[in-house]
Amino acid sequence: MLDIHKLSAGYGEAMVLHDISCRIDPGQVTALMGRNGMGKTTLLKTIMGLIKARSGQIIFNGAPIEKQPTHLISRAGLGYVPQGREIFSDFTVAENLHLSQLGHNTGAVLPLEKIYDWFPILKERSEQRAGTFSGGQQQILAIARALIGKPSMLLLDEPTEGIQPSIVHEIGLQLRRIARETGLGILIVEQNVDMVRTLAEEVFFMENGAIQERCDIAALRQDDSLLHRYLSV
Amino acid sequence: MNELFPIILDVSSYILILVLVALGLMIVFGMMGVINMAHGELFMIGAYVMVALQDVGLPFWAGILLAPVIVGFLGLLIEAALIRHIYLRPLDTILATWGLSIALKQLVVLTFGPESQSVTLPVDGSLEIGAFSYPLYRLILMASSVLLIGATFWLFTRTDFGLMARAVIARPATAATLGIDTRRMYRWSFVIGTALAGLAGALVAPIISVDPQMGLGYLVPGFLSILVGGAGPLAGVLVGGAVVGGVNNLLAVWISPVAAMITVYVIAILIIRLKPEGIMGGRRAK
Repeated sequence: MLDIHKLSAGYGEAMVLHDISCRIDPGQVTALMGRNGMGKTTLLKTIMGLIKARSGQIIFNGAPIEKQPTHLISRAGLGYVPQGREIFSDFTVAENLHLSQLGHNTGAVLPLEKIYDWFPILKERSEQRAGTFSGGQQQILAIARALIGKPSMLLLDEPTEGIQPSIVHEIGLQLRRIARETGLGILIVEQNVDMVRTLAEEVFFMENGAIQERCDIAALRQDDSLLHRYLSV
Repeated sequence: MNELFPIILDVSSYILILVLVALGLMIVFGMMGVINMAHGELFMIGAYVMVALQDVGLPFWAGILLAPVIVGFLGLLIEAALIRHIYLRPLDTILATWGLSIALKQLVVLTFGPESQSVTLPVDGSLEIGAFSYPLYRLILMASSVLLIGATFWLFTRTDFGLMARAVIARPATAATLGIDTRRMYRWSFVIGTALAGLAGALVAPIISVDPQMGLGYLVPGFLSILVGGAGPLAGVLVGGAVVGGVNNLLAVWISPVAAMITVYVIAILIIRLKPEGIMGGRRAK
């Protein structure tokens, strides 16, 4: 469970998150929506310890993590797929995956067979340089890399950005399958409404560094006025 | 032919030592953005470890084993006390490590005195083939350097440690989100860089005069090698070391040491002007 309490964070003098509070239950798939510049990426980076929290608390599985270094937050069970994927393009696919194994205790990693079972393309191309992959394939690699550490929650930052629609849908279905199969919780920052409808159970709408509204996905299917209010420019 | 051969060997052994010094410098710079002005002094301390051990009567080869350990441990202390506070702030690292280099030099002057010392050659003989003769220790020195350079390349390109190190160089934040302790990687890379400098100093101690100023003579060409070769791939150091060390030594023999230094600087300026990233390219784009 991820419990964020009155969190404030930002860059230098500029505060982006203002006293934000929210709670994500284990195994729940939550989408975080909102216009650009509202603090969605900042929230994910602060959870991962890449940006230091100015005040407030982040409790993950019962322990405060807001003062922990990033690698310990990762090992505590938070997987992170950054915006722009950030795979190591000079490394092979296998090396990208191995790197994530090295970052976690050897006993606590997911076997590669499981990863290859979910994403067969990674097995077929394991010796290929990751930089030669298409955007969608790189995204799959970045997700697989994060899953290797057996996270109990996965943070995804705009995984559909710049990816072909056909692959977007495929990634959405696969993530839903993995979440159901393993009980993985997901917090996904996403602008793509189709992806949110495929994957999420609950949606948070973010504006001006705070969560303004939340609703479950069934309610959103019937009434999309919230989408217009928080997403249209 | 018989006159040329020893010169080529002399130049090669200088290049190899230069590459060893520059490799340590580049690991520390490429990975952590630390410009270590005290690297030459760590090299010097490696040589003084040999002097001290010779004074207490320990054999030469024990010194070769102990020098990198002692200098590496010193590197660990320097990292913990100084460097870890200034990672990725190159200008601050120049000032802080320059201060450190002065302190280390004075410490050596206080302990051993300002005059130069010498270390006895562990093997005295020469390799003789026909009319050609060359000191055996210099050949051992070259072989050891080649092995060490090879081992360093192997460590950074073929091992798990190397994979993590290269990941931390390319994308430190992303590496951390995969559970990799970037601070720990910085620390051990710094220690490896300093241990290499100490070992290089220990290896050359018998063929040069060991004095408190000797570090600068390798630090400056070491930096030039990185500038000329490029600070990106490790291979840049090999190319840079070969250009800087080769030109410097050949011209020093054929014309004069002053002409050699002038030529090296002119070449360095030309390369930096025409190819600012160095011959082999700089840090790769993220």
